[in-house]
Amino acid sequence: MWSQLDTGFGHWNVFVWIFFFVVISGFVLWARSLGRMDYKRNTDQDEIYWSGNQVPDDGAKISVPASSSYWGFRVAMEPLYTLLYRFHSGNASDYAGYFVVTVALIGLLVLF
Amino acid sequence: MNWRDHLPALLVMIPLLGAFLTPFVASCGKTVRNVFFVFSMALVLFVGASLCAATFDGRVLVYVMGGESFSLTLPSGMSYPVRILFEIDAFGSLLILCVSVAAFAGAVFSIHYMDRFSGWKRFMALYFLMTAGALGMSATGDLFNFFVFVEISSIASFGLIAFWRDKPESLEASFKYMLISQIAAMLLLIAIGSLYGKYNALNMGALSSMMRSGTLERVSLALIVSVLAFKCGAFPMHAWMPDAYAEAPSGVTCLLVTVSQASFYGLIRVCYSIFPGLTQGGTVGWLLIVLGCMSMFFGVMMAVVQHEIKRLMGYHSISQVGYMLLAMGVGLLALGDGNRVAAYGLTAMKGGLFHVMNYSFYKGLLFLCAGSLYYATGTRDLDKMGGLARNMPWTAGMFVIGAAAISGLPPFNGFVSKWMIYESSFAVHPVLPAVAMITSVLTLASFAKVFQAAFLGPAKAKFVAVREVPYGMLAGMAILTVATLLLTLFPGWFTGNLFENAAQALLNRQGYIHAVLGGM
Amino acid sequence: MTDSIAKNASDFAGNAAYVVVALLVIMALYSILTQKNLIKICIGIAVLGSSVNFFLVLLGYRQRGGIPVYYLRGAGDAMVLPTPQCLTLTAIVIALATTALMLSLVILINKHYGTMNIDEIRRLRG
Repeated sequence: MWSQLDTGFGHWNVFVWIFFFVVISGFVLWARSLGRMDYKRNTDQDEIYWSGNQVPDDGAKISVPASSSYWGFRVAMEPLYTLLYRFHSGNASDYAGYFVVTVALIGLLVLF
Repeated sequence: MNWRDHLPALLVMIPLLGAFLTPFVASCGKTVRNVFFVFSMALVLFVGASLCAATFDGRVLVYVMGGESFSLTLPSGMSYPVRILFEIDAFGSLLILCVSVAAFAGAVFSIHYMDRFSGWKRFMALYFLMTAGALGMSATGDLFNFFVFVEISSIASFGLIAFWRDKPESLEASFKYMLISQIAAMLLLIAIGSLYGKYNALNMGALSSMMRSGTLERVSLALIVSVLAFKCGAFPMHAWMPDAYAEAPSGVTCLLVTVSQASFYGLIRVCYSIFPGLTQGGTVGWLLIVLGCMSMFFGVMMAVVQHEIKRLMGYHSISQVGYMLLAMGVGLLALGDGNRVAAYGLTAMKGGLFHVMNYSFYKGLLFLCAGSLYYATGTRDLDKMGGLARNMPWTAGMFVIGAAAISGLPPFNGFVSKWMIYESSFAVHPVLPAVAMITSVLTLASFAKVFQAAFLGPAKAKFVAVREVPYGMLAGMAILTVATLLLTLFPGWFTGNLFENAAQALLNRQGYIHAVLGGM
Repeated sequence: MTDSIAKNASDFAGNAAYVVVALLVIMALYSILTQKNLIKICIGIAVLGSSVNFFLVLLGYRQRGGIPVYYLRGAGDAMVLPTPQCLTLTAIVIALATTALMLSLVILINKHYGTMNIDEIRRLRG
């Protein structure tokens, strides 16, 4: 059995999942085939609806930059991120210091 | 005389010879150079795969350098080996396979990626040396030789990280890595020297058979563990990693990932095979678990807020290394107790080793995809990218596979290894899988962000002319994609034949000693 | 084979050299962690490498030992251990390579950033 994996806690078989995906996609295609048939290509139905405004030609004007995603998460975690940014100061002396201190701590831990 | 007996020597000889031949070959024109580069790396991959096949049955290969006979470990009545020797068991050959696959893919990718730049002689020679260093680290059976290979791969990687020396950031990243790496290397040498002073031996098997418990041993263990944890990027010592991974050329980053895996090999080998008497108490096991949890959590927290694609992936590397440290720490807690090994230790070790292989393939793939984006668009900033899936469908498709695998979405291989780690660490403490799962969710979140920002969204005017990258780069990515998919489709075969054997080899310390010292 | 640490444990003179090694390591770490000038940091790295080499040579030292070559060993029977000297030679070569590479990086960094102060070389952060 090349795909069957028994860990002692449970079983894993990737083909069960692939079978599941095939069944689900068959179901989805069936559901889709029940939908409306009156859509026409190359008409106004193709146009992007952008709150009734004119859509700019350059997509750069209407895309969300990556720095803006998870803004809420970042604000909620502000205290932690302040600490983390201070830790990653970019100063090589600091990094060397962290290394030496960690070595010393690990040494104390293993020694006693 | 069978050529298969000399595979361990060929493993390091081919890349070293390649490095020396590079200046001559690179003068013979572009085609010869490219063919030579890819062919040598294919040879290395072939040797690595053959070694892996040779250790399937739990055999330990030993190769003595510079002796009258390559298999004679104890010449003329010596009680311990005096020559440098290579000792490859199933665990070592697993790492060798990871390194050689990633090195091959990185080489195929680099042919087109680095085509626009001069300095090919230096690039190729350093790439060969770095491969030789990483392979040697996973093959050697001698502690000082291990140090030498660590230094070979480190020095080559300093050069390659600063390869674009007209960019100030690459120089800065290289200098930072070099500064800490040199302190680390000297501490490693102090530890190895102390062990030599006490036991008069440098061979890992011989040291393991003589190892007692004492202050000097504890100090050496602490130094070696912390230095190698630094090399593979554990939390408080990780800050060089995103810098170096982001600034190196992408084909090199793919190889840097596996060099850190080779350091991880050293760490695990030292904990399991050389110092098991000291590491069985639980202190070192919990140390690895705590380092792993911190790396996982803080690494992924920093990754979520990055907006430079390779830097983001660099922070993910830290969190992925955390999974392996956690798994091997759990395995170390169970070491020496047959019941606990059977209950959760073996599963943890198999999961950790599975993750090592997964990580070197999908992480290499993701870094190569990031390199393709940089090649096509000329920027690494996700804020400026967008809508590229229309222009680069193949890159987008392979990126999705890599991203799904690293986030642990079932049916991909990342899920299987993470699942084994969750299950086994749950048996130790329920908090551990909780941290790992939070990390996994945040990983998925940040890769969803990368995919959305780079490939989805409206087409941007300045990227209208962007085309799919050349076939050579696609081939490099395809190698790692195929490797990832193979691991996805046949996890049972890989676990039964590779990871099970590797975990058993780690547990079988007597076998490791016996291969060197014979019937003693 | 007894090791030199155990052999000389009784007299202070035998162990004084190890104290020198420890002092050198501490001095090197001090200069790496506190100095701001890149060249001074490189000097710290070089001193650290030399102190480790010193340590390795010291491990192989035997009191009144001769050269570890059979026909050059002189009058006495004892010879110092050759292996640590080989290790030291390798380590010296590695230290030479790293020092040279590090100094060349410092030259290039100085060209790009226009400074030798490590506090100002931090474009990669966060």
